[in-house]
Amino acid sequence: MNRRRLLTALGGVGLTAGGAWVATNGLGGSAFSVTVETLDARGSERGSLRLPVDGEVTVLDLFATWCGPCEKQMESLAPVAASYGEDVTFVSVTNERFGGSFTREYLRGWWRDHDGDWTLGHDPEGELMSAVGANGLPYLVVTAPDGSVTWQHGGVASESKLRGAIDAALGR
Amino acid sequence: MYRREYLRTLGATGAVAGGVAGCLGGGNPNTTLGEPDREYDSEDVQFPAWGQQVPDVTLPAPLSGEDVSVRDVDTPALLTFFYSYCNTVCPVLISTLRDVQTHALNEGYGDEVSIYPVTFDPERDDAARLRDYGEKMHVDVDAGNWQFLRPAGKERTKEVVTDEFGVYFERTHPEKMDRYMFNHAAMTLLVNGDGYVERAYRTQSPDEQRIIADLKQVR
Repeated sequence: MNRRRLLTALGGVGLTAGGAWVATNGLGGSAFSVTVETLDARGSERGSLRLPVDGEVTVLDLFATWCGPCEKQMESLAPVAASYGEDVTFVSVTNERFGGSFTREYLRGWWRDHDGDWTLGHDPEGELMSAVGANGLPYLVVTAPDGSVTWQHGGVASESKLRGAIDAALGR
Repeated sequence: MYRREYLRTLGATGAVAGGVAGCLGGGNPNTTLGEPDREYDSEDVQFPAWGQQVPDVTLPAPLSGEDVSVRDVDTPALLTFFYSYCNTVCPVLISTLRDVQTHALNEGYGDEVSIYPVTFDPERDDAARLRDYGEKMHVDVDAGNWQFLRPAGKERTKEVVTDEFGVYFERTHPEKMDRYMFNHAAMTLLVNGDGYVERAYRTQSPDEQRIIADLKQVR
């Protein structure tokens, strides 16, 4: 199912090992489309959102609350998100499944504690991870207003790297 | 790095892209799932592969105080190999199984699967540490379908994890850290209720949806 979606997202190109190919070579400017649930949390409203956001430079941060480096990533994402204001849409997405001690309330608390103040998405089926070929967390993706991927990065990205990638997508 | 570990785990036989002997027809009477698409035969690898019996080992489950005989578990079982101080690969393996556990509990089949993460660091992963780690990873350690297994001592760990399950691990001492870590291979096994291996997911990032789908067929 994910594999099929991925192939569709890549425009039906007959890749035999889709995920692996993407992970190795990047999406190379291709577009994808995944809809995630968005949560009621600081800076975020409950609903759903199609990614990448049409007509806007979008920064996607794939993370998990158990992931130490993802906490580190929040430290550089927070000031960057604050400084670009409405020019850029920021979306952080976790694929952790709700249940047991991992509740919406817990996630909201984590988000607050790590200075999250932008859209918070939930992707328990891991569709976004498959679509962008994320092979680890955190994983960052920047898309241009036309939805094409202009930058992607596995592991923690520094503030300056993030700004460079966003500025390039903005054409600055 | 992973590639090297993978080859190392496979040992001298290597991952020969032959597969001729696997084409004698049909499935395996002991498995529900058909033969996976792969470039080796089960008998050519050092880990328990599709259609083979899971090793007949009994390991302590420190949180419950029970001993678990892996081959005798009546439900389908998921096993993986980890250590709790691991920062990279293991949290992915554990969180994947945690999400499978949550799916099972949410969807009402919690008692039709047993999950057994086996530590290869019994020295540090004692009962208290494993409980804390499980809670940090949002595992429901009291649900009854999740038991951390801890071989008794270094020797026994090597015997079980490396010799029986074919999972390579080796202690390392990173320069910038004041504690030891491990180089290790990543493997998650799906074993059916009769003790036969249905799938060996040999990846650092197992596909949770795939596991849930495979598990559905097996249970």
